[in-house]
Amino acid sequence: MPTVIALDVSLSMRRPVLGVLGTDSVQTEQLTRHHLAVQGINALLHYLQTNSKLEFVSLVVFSSLYEVICPFTRDYDSIRAKLQNIEECDKTCIETALHGVNNVIMAEWGNTTACQVILVTDGNPGVGTMSLGDSLNSLNVKRDNNPFPLPFPYPGKLSIVCIASQQDPGLAIGLPLYQRLIELAGSDSIVLIPEGQLTKNSVTNCFQKLAEANYVSFQGYLKCGHLGSRIFLSPPPMPHTKKTDFEILAGLTVSKTIEICGFISVADVGSPSAISRHLVLPLPTEKTPSMQGISLEEESDTEDNGDDGKIPSFCVLLHGALKVENMAALCLLNTDWYGFIYSWADTKKKSNLMLTLLEPGTDIIPWLGNLSNLGPIDAAINKSGEIGFPVRPSEKRSYSQNAPSWIRQVGLQSDIQKILRHARKLPEKTQNFYKELNRLRRAALSMGFVELLEGLASIFERECTLLPPNLNPDCTIQMGHVAEMLRKPYSRELKNNITPVRTKFHHAE
Amino acid sequence: MYPANHKTVFVLDHTPYFGISTESPLEFDCLKTRGQNLIPLAPICKSLWTTSVESSMEYCRIVWDLFPTGKLVRFVVSDHAAHILNTWSASQQNLSHIMNGMAIIGVPPRTHQPGVDFSVIHGLRVAIEALTESSEIQHEKRTSLTENATKLLNSGRVICITSARDDINMKSLENIFLNQLTQQNKIALTSDHLIPVHHCHLVILNIFPNNIESQVTSQSPREVSPLLTMEVHSMKAPALHSKLSHLILSHYDLASTTVTGIPMKEEQNASSSANYDVEIFHSSAAHSAILKGNPQDSALIKTFRRFEEGSEYETVTLKWCTPRGCSACEMQNCTAMHRITPVDVNSRPSSCLINFLLNGRSVMLEMARKSGGKTISHLLAAHGGEIFIHTLSTARSVLEDPPSISEGCGGRVTDYRITDFGTLMRNNVLVPLKKNSSDEGEGPAAKMRSRLERHTKYWPITISNTLMFNLKQLIDPLPELMVKDDLTKEEIVQCKQIIFALLQLEAKHEPLPLPSIGGGRGGKGGVRREEHYRLLWGELETFLKGHANNSAAHVEVLNCLLEVRNKDDKDKVELDQALRELDGLGKEDITARASVIRATTDSPMSPPPCTSVSLGKQLHKGSLYTPKSLLDIWLQRSAPKERKPEFHGRIQSDGPKAKLYPNLKEPGREPREPILEA
Repeated sequence: MPTVIALDVSLSMRRPVLGVLGTDSVQTEQLTRHHLAVQGINALLHYLQTNSKLEFVSLVVFSSLYEVICPFTRDYDSIRAKLQNIEECDKTCIETALHGVNNVIMAEWGNTTACQVILVTDGNPGVGTMSLGDSLNSLNVKRDNNPFPLPFPYPGKLSIVCIASQQDPGLAIGLPLYQRLIELAGSDSIVLIPEGQLTKNSVTNCFQKLAEANYVSFQGYLKCGHLGSRIFLSPPPMPHTKKTDFEILAGLTVSKTIEICGFISVADVGSPSAISRHLVLPLPTEKTPSMQGISLEEESDTEDNGDDGKIPSFCVLLHGALKVENMAALCLLNTDWYGFIYSWADTKKKSNLMLTLLEPGTDIIPWLGNLSNLGPIDAAINKSGEIGFPVRPSEKRSYSQNAPSWIRQVGLQSDIQKILRHARKLPEKTQNFYKELNRLRRAALSMGFVELLEGLASIFERECTLLPPNLNPDCTIQMGHVAEMLRKPYSRELKNNITPVRTKFHHAE
Repeated sequence: MYPANHKTVFVLDHTPYFGISTESPLEFDCLKTRGQNLIPLAPICKSLWTTSVESSMEYCRIVWDLFPTGKLVRFVVSDHAAHILNTWSASQQNLSHIMNGMAIIGVPPRTHQPGVDFSVIHGLRVAIEALTESSEIQHEKRTSLTENATKLLNSGRVICITSARDDINMKSLENIFLNQLTQQNKIALTSDHLIPVHHCHLVILNIFPNNIESQVTSQSPREVSPLLTMEVHSMKAPALHSKLSHLILSHYDLASTTVTGIPMKEEQNASSSANYDVEIFHSSAAHSAILKGNPQDSALIKTFRRFEEGSEYETVTLKWCTPRGCSACEMQNCTAMHRITPVDVNSRPSSCLINFLLNGRSVMLEMARKSGGKTISHLLAAHGGEIFIHTLSTARSVLEDPPSISEGCGGRVTDYRITDFGTLMRNNVLVPLKKNSSDEGEGPAAKMRSRLERHTKYWPITISNTLMFNLKQLIDPLPELMVKDDLTKEEIVQCKQIIFALLQLEAKHEPLPLPSIGGGRGGKGGVRREEHYRLLWGELETFLKGHANNSAAHVEVLNCLLEVRNKDDKDKVELDQALRELDGLGKEDITARASVIRATTDSPMSPPPCTSVSLGKQLHKGSLYTPKSLLDIWLQRSAPKERKPEFHGRIQSDGPKAKLYPNLKEPGREPREPILEA
């Protein structure tokens, strides 16, 4: 999950912390809230370095303006270095900060990547226009060009850290405003205040707590019948909220045991939309009795030499077979929630096991049908009429029905021309001629377009007079017949079809 | 939540006035191109009625193409009374049902009859009643026992196509509607099966022929009461279609994409191809990634405004990418998918694109960036006869620079049974099943789960952890049969034959034909023959025990193994008994073939297998895979003292393997190696 650390660099951050002196007597300089914030951010970076190396972090500073100090990177040391040389600016403006954060995230990750926003401030929400209080008060006023930056336009979580002691009188004003913010942000957003006295320790602990709460790795078990492996998902899946016309299901989480339900060829799966994608990384796992097999080497000490790479893992086997067979494994993530595991290669052709989480629900990929109704192929053989993928809808869509559409004149013209083309090739095209004619007639009747039937009759009558002499006489006979029929009340009934008149040219079918 | 577009009622004016012509002549006489001296035909015009039917049908076509379920439309036709064409039931939510109904309704009555009250009011009244009827899903939610049941809000939309005299007339229509809505809500509150309307959106489309100036003015949406929002659009009849197709965008939150640069063969000149554009509609969410995603790029993406008969809307222009390879055959990083429908369904470019897609090919769409670059942003593909637009991720990926699977846990093991697992996957492929309501208990998914458990009951994941799966020529089809949930009589016999054949092989002191692949288990030749048999019997026993509770037949096979093994251990004489049983079981002992062939190729004079062969192999392997034991080293040292002369063929070969009959593969001859393999 990419993280943006937004650090307040307003003047109030440079207030000294009362009663706390620099640890070394050599450093006589009084500690400021800014020092503590930097200290805390370093603690957070340290945590990531040891526990969550793949996170991208960006550092943004803000006052009444914002500035990207460090674009997204996994090189935490470079952020540390930049942290040392940050200059103070004017006043706190949180709305600007959040706009800046959103720009930074949207430019880099788009609107579907889950992100963390950590806002570090001093509990002083600013004063005057563009203060937080002012921003929140103008929420309901329509702002067309510049909507309030919350809720985030991407799946985001906001953590506000106040470098202030619990007794700070400024918090009494600030805290309720921060609470409003996290309500707007949703998704388990939080406000954190260091516990007890404002010291280096309490601030470090506060950031530590934040890191532990926000960067929980996902460890679970991938199960396939009696086979399986402990796994680690990177990035960890976020709780998902599903919104439909009639319900909102919030806080859906992936179960710790992901169970493979069967296999489908990748071509049949057909790239359904995913809510997120995660690398499935195997962890050392005790073999189940089913996987154990027999040992052919008496001196089987190879497994104890501590090299994880040499211990067989089900994930590697699964990856290999999925890749070779070009298949995907459908797996159950939780009640009525499915995902696909498949072999995925990045641009450098490094291949790995990937899990995509589908939208929760069982009926979410139309061409696969209800996922809980997928079963073994022999069950299908017993029942007749089962064919496999794709599952087709009961009704055809308009574009595969070839229904007339006369909204644009061209549509009507081409339908008439088609009939006339067939008419000139009578008697060979008798069937097509009458089929198209009746199709057009039915459409006209449905739309109450009786004027067309009259018009068509006149076209046929004129067409009879214009036919070149070498054409089959059947043309004239059939067209005359049709023109006459079209004018009769008989043809105004939907159920009546105009049928060919019997001629000596018309061979009995 | 609870959007107004869940339920829409079209009220079509079917009063005699709607029978009049729109006075907009149609170019239906297509003979003009054939010559000048033709008698022109009397022009024809659509009636107001035809215009309103075809425009409302087009609206439904788009809705039902994009949302086959969950977005319901009903039709009420109003003349001297209201005629209801369909219900909320899913079976009546399709164009052919409505078209049939319209054909039965027919054209508006010709003349006013005295004493008959022709009015659109009848229809509006019935439309409100229709909105208070629950749809299937609303009924389900209302009767569900969750806390949300009471929170259900019933919103809906009424689209009325009529022709009013003036604004006063329109105002009275509004009052009557609001009155009726309030009344009907009172009725609904006292009823068990009706739900009151919490909010209704009334859209009145006032149409008139081309040669008339209407006294009705358009009104933008306005909240008449908390219950009712109303808007009025007044236009000449031919403009109705474009007005409706404009309104539908906001009603269903749709967006338009113009696929540009589609190469298409010319009708006249088949050798050249020109580029065409096709406009499609789909849910606007398909664009959110590119329009809301990167703020810089979304500002740069070109969105053209289209002007069509007074209405305007945005369309995002994306470029056709001639497909290379099979983009549908790999998993794309798709963040959203939505059904599409062409705006102009029967035009030649549309049907070309549609047929291209329906025939199973897919098209990538490319978005231009201001920087000059291009990014693939969407994929058009058909699945099961429906066409979808897949939104592909264009942003940076957090999975950047991921580790390879070979760098992780188990990544350096090279002898996974990948081919066997591939077979297992193919045997456990999922297919769609119709849920049989008579099926009690477990559904297809549960069945599949127990099946997978059965198939993996004993499944060593590496080659070096199994003997039986390396001896397919002896063991097959035993593993395949045993994973079944039941066995036939013949299959039991087949399994027993395999066990007996193995026993026979052991009795003949044949070494197991282990392939020389990976690990350390093979190749020890005669030295570890007995050990191999012991391990194999043990493994088979584990395997069969694992499957013993599948069925009684499986127990029978296990018992057979246990019996012969016991006999074997206790008394060698019993073996003859077993062999006789085997002979009695059938002459067609395919599984014993390997040993039979072996027996025929070995003459009694054949020397015992040369130990240096297996030693050579062993050393070859040992250096790669296994640490040498003291025994190995001793054997190696003693090898040169071998008294037997080396096989002539091997002296000339490069390695320890010698090719037999090197001249055999001369042109015209069939290779015979397979037969000689044993």
